[in-house]
Amino acid sequence: MAIIKPTKRSTIAPPLSETSPVGWMKKHLFSSTLNTLLTFVTLFLIYITVKGLWVWGIADAVWVADSRRECFDISMDGACWAGVIAWLDSIFYGRYPRDELWRINLGILLLFVWMAPLWLPRVKAKIYIGLTTVFLYPFLSGYLFSGGDKGIFMQLMLTAAIVCLAGNTIHATIGVFTGHSLPEFLPRLFGIKDVQEKTLHNMFFTLIAVSFVAVFMWQMGWGVEKIPWTKWGGLFLTLVISGVGIASALPGGIILALGRRSKMPVVRVLSTSFIELFRSVPLITVLFMATTMFPLFLPEGFVLNKLVQVIIAVCLFNACYLAEVVRGGLQTIPKGQFEGAHTVGLGYWQTMSFIIMPQALKHMIPNIVGNFISLLKDTTLVSIIGLFDVLGMLRSISKDLPWLGLHREPLIFGAILFFLICFVMSKYSRHLEAKLSTEHKN
Amino acid sequence: MTAAKTQNTREQLTSAASTEVIIEFNRVNKWYGDFHVLKDIDLTVHQGERIVVCGPSGSGKSTLIRCINKLEEHQKGSIVVDGITLNKNLKNIDHIRTEVGMVFQNFNLFPHLTILENLTLGPKWARKMTKADAQANAMVYLERVKISEQADKFPDQLSGGQQQRVAIARSLCMNPKIMLFDEPTSALDPEMIKEVLDVMIELADTGMTMIVVTHEMGFAKTIADRVIFMDHGNIVEENEPGKFFNNPRHERTKLFLSQIL
Repeated sequence: MAIIKPTKRSTIAPPLSETSPVGWMKKHLFSSTLNTLLTFVTLFLIYITVKGLWVWGIADAVWVADSRRECFDISMDGACWAGVIAWLDSIFYGRYPRDELWRINLGILLLFVWMAPLWLPRVKAKIYIGLTTVFLYPFLSGYLFSGGDKGIFMQLMLTAAIVCLAGNTIHATIGVFTGHSLPEFLPRLFGIKDVQEKTLHNMFFTLIAVSFVAVFMWQMGWGVEKIPWTKWGGLFLTLVISGVGIASALPGGIILALGRRSKMPVVRVLSTSFIELFRSVPLITVLFMATTMFPLFLPEGFVLNKLVQVIIAVCLFNACYLAEVVRGGLQTIPKGQFEGAHTVGLGYWQTMSFIIMPQALKHMIPNIVGNFISLLKDTTLVSIIGLFDVLGMLRSISKDLPWLGLHREPLIFGAILFFLICFVMSKYSRHLEAKLSTEHKN
Repeated sequence: MTAAKTQNTREQLTSAASTEVIIEFNRVNKWYGDFHVLKDIDLTVHQGERIVVCGPSGSGKSTLIRCINKLEEHQKGSIVVDGITLNKNLKNIDHIRTEVGMVFQNFNLFPHLTILENLTLGPKWARKMTKADAQANAMVYLERVKISEQADKFPDQLSGGQQQRVAIARSLCMNPKIMLFDEPTSALDPEMIKEVLDVMIELADTGMTMIVVTHEMGFAKTIADRVIFMDHGNIVEENEPGKFFNNPRHERTKLFLSQIL
């Protein structure tokens, strides 16, 4: 008779076939004859592709040469990267004066400085930092890029942007080290404790006002040389158009989507027809309309430059696409959320901005980023209407005398460039999604 | 002993319920498309009164109380709440919504905000309280519904009963004059119903004007001053709980009571 001993069993490690790489390969790559065959065929295809690319693009490629002829002299069937390298500055900056390139670099650096706090832990008031990036940074970078005389409006906005940038940076630094916000930290600088919320506000706004005046005085004596938009080009121009497009398409899309859901018939009909009109027309048509038809409607002598027209067209076009994404997101929010918000006395705009949008936007992230990626790629269409964006620049290499007929290498380089930017964007969106979906469950 | 004492206080409160009218329905009619959901409703609620509304599903009881804070719009007749006639005037609606708290079957808490943020949002924006005051105020009410230790959690981390108590506290934070409850225990697991009802009974003891749509007849017997039975958009019967449960006058009421008791 068997006696069952109630021994305590420790957990046993899974069999080797489940954990070892060999086990994994057996299961996934060589499970049947057909699977094994497919594995080998695929491996062979990968091998010849990679080998071909390696030989053409790297092993036999020419990196240093003065013309396409020289490239051929060195290697007949390797890539002629020398052409791309010679044009690198133009690919990135277009025909922007070479002495002034620091302005573009500084502008891009400032964008990173401005947005860095968004990713830093313990920093408070990230929403304000995000909003100022959208509404104030464009003035700062806009002036840096174009320069020239500042109107009074530009002077005010520029001052606001500089004060805001300084404030954000100080606020973020304090946040990282102490976990406080700038207004909360202020009294400590003066060694005061237990301040009323009101005094705190007053102190904060005084500080802002004082620095505003100081910066305003300073910027009156400062300025940079004007550079006409016709000199803008390359990746820089692509990023400007798509950057403004991205920054304004989302707010525009939100407004249009709310308009389309409005209870007021006039607002609803206007928003709906606007959205449907732009969505049913290809972007290239909108661009042509913007640059050729739009000026006909403007008053005599009133000249808008082509770049502004293009940017407006891109913004409107993408706002309409995002409006539909936002509307889809809004529909995922149950009616109870609106009712809950109404019963605690929140009005329409408060309900939308504190309750509905934060939840809806979270659902929309993949779609929004998808739209941003296609926006970035669509901006290459502006090379058709005569702007020299990155694609325009890459194509003009083949028309440059020393590099006549050099098509392949620049276009491949462009592909790599776009892939890098878009891949980073999509990876970041996945990360954001994962982060936000776990945030309120921890 | 204690129970008797509570009962006593409760009666005193009832008698102390002022004669001041706080809600008045006058021949109110409402349609959803072709469906006539409220038919010539007349109803007067005095300050401090506790009213339980019951009836079969689709009888219009939820719609009735949702008309009070204008979550639903009535098409005919008039509703006066706290001296203000409900009409299209948005200012009036906003005002009434700050005076009327509401608790829903599905809680309708804001899932992306912590419990404390759920409770402070209304007072901060609709009542213009400072952040510190709103938080102190919120903690008082969380204490009262006995979940102050959950203040920093998110709604999804709480049980149904806890979420409903948070929802009650959220409404109370606005310091309302009237509290509406739309089947507050219907979505809860049985063992959680009591904790929510206990909170509501405590609230009733403070003299709050309450209108409760529920099928918890035990609760109705304990706290209600009046029980209203609705069917097909009509108020069929309206009586104090003793008479309502012991000798209902209408056949329809008898049938309903025999089915649920």
